[in-house]
Amino acid sequence: MIVVKAGGRVLETNMRNILDSVAKRRDGGVVFVHGGGDIVSKYEKMLGIEPKIVTSPSGIRSRLTDERELEVYNMVMAGKLGKEMSAYLNHRGVKAVSLSGVDSALIRATRKKRIVIVDERGRKRAIDGGYTGTISAVDTSIITNLTEMGYVIVVSPVALGDEGEMLNVDGDTAASAIASALKAEKLILLTDVEGVLLDGRLVESLTVGQAQQLLEQIGAGMNRKLMAAAKAVENGVVKAYICSGMGEDPLKRVEGGKATIITGL
Amino acid sequence: MPELECPVCGGRLQIPEDSLPGELFEHQDCGANLEYFQDEKGRPALKVAEEVAEDWGQ
Repeated sequence: MIVVKAGGRVLETNMRNILDSVAKRRDGGVVFVHGGGDIVSKYEKMLGIEPKIVTSPSGIRSRLTDERELEVYNMVMAGKLGKEMSAYLNHRGVKAVSLSGVDSALIRATRKKRIVIVDERGRKRAIDGGYTGTISAVDTSIITNLTEMGYVIVVSPVALGDEGEMLNVDGDTAASAIASALKAEKLILLTDVEGVLLDGRLVESLTVGQAQQLLEQIGAGMNRKLMAAAKAVENGVVKAYICSGMGEDPLKRVEGGKATIITGL
Repeated sequence: MPELECPVCGGRLQIPEDSLPGELFEHQDCGANLEYFQDEKGRPALKVAEEVAEDWGQ
């Protein structure tokens, strides 16, 4: 079983090639988790909502999701992107199902009522957290059943909250949690750069320990991916890869070693 | 710079003039993590900061 996640930026420019690349590798079972934060922001602006992006003390950037924004988030993620991907794959003759984390309680999360941010003055502040969640459990039964039936599974990063509410969860973290629960062979995070770059050069391999030490030296966005990759390997995923989602067959990079590979040793 | 009482050790703590509700401070004397707030009469005060995690949304 492999779990692949692609961010919104590469999906906007290369969605079809990414999905074709995923579909080619469906024999042993594949789960595809999509991002799309930038696309959510675009739709928010079209609806007159200004997206609020906040930064945590450890440099993680994320969306502050209030009730109205959550509606747009769900509409775009689960309603638009997930279904567009399912439509593309099924039209190509690839049996695919689009699920969000709330379906079959695939992803459960606990809502963060308050969060800590670093504000525009560089000072730490606790603010109302809105509708983002920390993933607490993954129920893989629906994945296992559908995979056995030959389906490619597309997952939108929306989780089921403790009070039945829908929550925004990070796509990289969702992919990592699903891969961990499945004890997947590979977790592959596709992004718009070649992998983890240090002084402009690709870091080809890292152990979990090395990855954790590197977190402070790399930029916002990539630090979250590296954290998610390291966590998955720590939880039993054999190998995690961070690589570019561009080009005709992006997953070929993993086979050719053109990626940052995170291993347990 | 206002000086407020630490609710943990009773010591004094100076905070910036422009502090906003929710702002977090560590009291160097006792190590307590404190949150600035205004009480029901609008007076500035400090309370022990809740354990809150970082945001992890998309």
